[in-house]
Amino acid sequence: MQSGNVVISGMGVISACGKNISETRDTFAAGRRNGSETTLFETMLKYPVFEVKGFSGGDGKFMRTLELAFVTVRQALEDSGLEDKLNDFRIGVCLGTTVASQLNDIDFYNEYKNTGSASLCSVERYLKGNLAEAVSKKIGVSGLACTVVNACSSGTDAIGVGLSWLRADLCDIVICGGADELNRVPLAGFGSLGVVSDSLCKPFDKDRSGLNLGEGAGVIIIEKEGICRKRGKKTELFLRGYGLAADAYHLTTPRPNGSGLETALARAMDEAGITPSQVAFVNAHGTATPDNDLVEGKVLARVFGAGLKFLSTKGYSGHTLGAAGGIEAVFTILGLCGGWIPQSAGFEKPDDTIGISPVTQKTTISGQYAISTSLAFGGNNSAIVIGKE
Amino acid sequence: MQIVGMGVVFNRGRGVQTLEKALEEGWVPPTDSTYSVAEDTLKDKSVLKEMRRADKFSKMACFAAYDAFVDSGLGNEVKSSLGIILATAFGPHVTTFRFLDDILDYGDTNVSPTVFSHSVHNAAASYIALVLGARGPTLTVTQFAHSFHQALIIAQSWLRERRCEYILVGNADQCGVVMEYICRQKLRLAEDGKIKPFLFSQRPCAVPGEGSAFFLVTEGKTEKCYCSVLAQTVGTQDMYLLDSDGMVGDERCYLKMAKGGIPVNSYTPIFGSMLTQSSFSCAAAALMLKNQRHYASPVQDNPFGANICRLTEEKETESVACVRYNCGIERSQITLKR
Amino acid sequence: MEDKKEQELDEIRKKLKELLVTNLNLENIKPEQIKDNEILFGEGLGLDSLDAVEIVVLLQRNFDLDVKNMNEEKKIFYSVDTLSRYILEKRKR
Repeated sequence: MQSGNVVISGMGVISACGKNISETRDTFAAGRRNGSETTLFETMLKYPVFEVKGFSGGDGKFMRTLELAFVTVRQALEDSGLEDKLNDFRIGVCLGTTVASQLNDIDFYNEYKNTGSASLCSVERYLKGNLAEAVSKKIGVSGLACTVVNACSSGTDAIGVGLSWLRADLCDIVICGGADELNRVPLAGFGSLGVVSDSLCKPFDKDRSGLNLGEGAGVIIIEKEGICRKRGKKTELFLRGYGLAADAYHLTTPRPNGSGLETALARAMDEAGITPSQVAFVNAHGTATPDNDLVEGKVLARVFGAGLKFLSTKGYSGHTLGAAGGIEAVFTILGLCGGWIPQSAGFEKPDDTIGISPVTQKTTISGQYAISTSLAFGGNNSAIVIGKE
Repeated sequence: MQIVGMGVVFNRGRGVQTLEKALEEGWVPPTDSTYSVAEDTLKDKSVLKEMRRADKFSKMACFAAYDAFVDSGLGNEVKSSLGIILATAFGPHVTTFRFLDDILDYGDTNVSPTVFSHSVHNAAASYIALVLGARGPTLTVTQFAHSFHQALIIAQSWLRERRCEYILVGNADQCGVVMEYICRQKLRLAEDGKIKPFLFSQRPCAVPGEGSAFFLVTEGKTEKCYCSVLAQTVGTQDMYLLDSDGMVGDERCYLKMAKGGIPVNSYTPIFGSMLTQSSFSCAAAALMLKNQRHYASPVQDNPFGANICRLTEEKETESVACVRYNCGIERSQITLKR
Repeated sequence: MEDKKEQELDEIRKKLKELLVTNLNLENIKPEQIKDNEILFGEGLGLDSLDAVEIVVLLQRNFDLDVKNMNEEKKIFYSVDTLSRYILEKRKR
């Protein structure tokens, strides 16, 4: 196994917070929340959602999820200075998603259900739309490609897989993260589970009543430090560690004692060679469901102490499902590099049963390390440690 | 990386012994239009105790993974360091369509949360973790024809990183009526139920299948070991198992390999056509290496005179490669060694 | 009048038990084996949080009832009997 550091040389993001890094930063600085009823599809459901407004989603050749991913991959490649150098390296692509992996076109199925036959247009689009494969083809690389479908931790886990690939010397550079579009099917599904809020979400708040769905994509470019230095790209950012552990408890409820998350955090920090006291802040999963925030909050308090600076950015972006880990990795980097994190949008009243509260205003950050956590349905718990020189 | 336990669920039933019997028996026509897994195969309550709501997709994966664990002879002490990686081409699409039924029949506000929560790709891996009490890293991946290969690459990486000590890695794919309809429209289906892997046709015939095959892998050798497995191409092998099953169209790419006279074989006619077929080929390869036995090609139509196994016989074998092409003619190869 | 109410309640209990067994995939138990005062969650039938939201859908589809907030209406979901009485009461309105 290859030892040696893994650097982060570029990133791209698109979400309800903005179509790029700069717009996202402005949204955080202003504390702006862009949630509203969906305009993307017809539904009786009136929950507020976080759409990428004004994003056309391409010409229909690819699913919206892929178009969101393409935008951020382009941004990340430009940021890393790799756009015209891809053929010089072994490039891997590992991306997480939920919607793009599902054969769930309602019109196709409705036609088939009613008549016994249906046009296969949407099926063809699906078959050409494996996220990692489509991105690889789009940018013209033919190395490793893998799509992670670990529900809400897919994006973080895709970054973890990328890290493993680099350590195994299977690639020189990996484009990793996640993408997911707002879609009627998961909106109905999460609604039926009783975990979606009728109002803007309030992560970690005493009166929190559920999540808001969102959409977007977040991608980071990770590479071996030697490769990055040799090609003359300067970066101060490192992917220091990754941890993943299963609850083995229930299909939709997290293990009450949070031991899965605690294990994931411990593994990530162990890999990074750091202790909890060295963590400047945590970008929590913080969906604003009663269960997630209770379990996650208690674990954060237990591991880092009640003085931890942490936030949930889902008050700004919504819960972007398979994209969340990728988007939040970028958000974490923004905080670490910029030296500040925004208030945890939606939080007002502390919940005494959790024992820890997120930041309530724009907060200065100093320190070298930050963590992003993701918890998924089915009991996956993931954490990444990002470091700054 | 060593394979120390195996579990399979397929058209003929469940278990390594059932697989061995099927390899000895050869081709048998499917009981209906697809190589489906019978409901009776998935009824063992000792495995299903936490799974009353689970759909067929999750059940197939659970049985195969559970059996792989039991087959390994390992005990409960490994479960805190037991990872799971599931590869699937289409996920639990039958359940997804059931959820769409709910949306269409009852409206967006009146859909079943149970059906929804089972329609996500990672539900099966979650059930495996639950049934076995496995608390290590758990991952589900999808890459169409190369899904299983990708899963094996990750498994190899995780073991070398010591992310966990043992991993259950496998596939699960299902074929319901909608998928069968799609296959009928897009592929040429064999009306006699017979996949002919050595026709190397531009428009080969498929017979959709479903099932799950899981392997318990680890770095060190244990008392029980089938063979070692590598997710990379390494030199020339004693035997090449071809995943030619009609699923991705043009199979002339396999002909290039076979024309060279190298020993080739294919067991796809036993399992049915599946994009994650590679896992079943690996299961067959592992048995070949453990038993030092070649199993006759179940369907021997061979107009190009490829060097196939005509007989089942004892045969010393050091290595077997399982080769899969996708519709972009990109190749993946998994190499198994004695 | 009381007899009629009791009869209606009986019918609801019977239907509810059938729906619980079928919709929640309860194993090793037939509807007629479920006691009227069977506790739904924790002990008794041992249902969990996923069953709870499934029951909400079950009530919507079969009894045209809309449960807005399960947490607030927890006592209704205590047993087969409390749920049946709730259904009867809502039906009469």
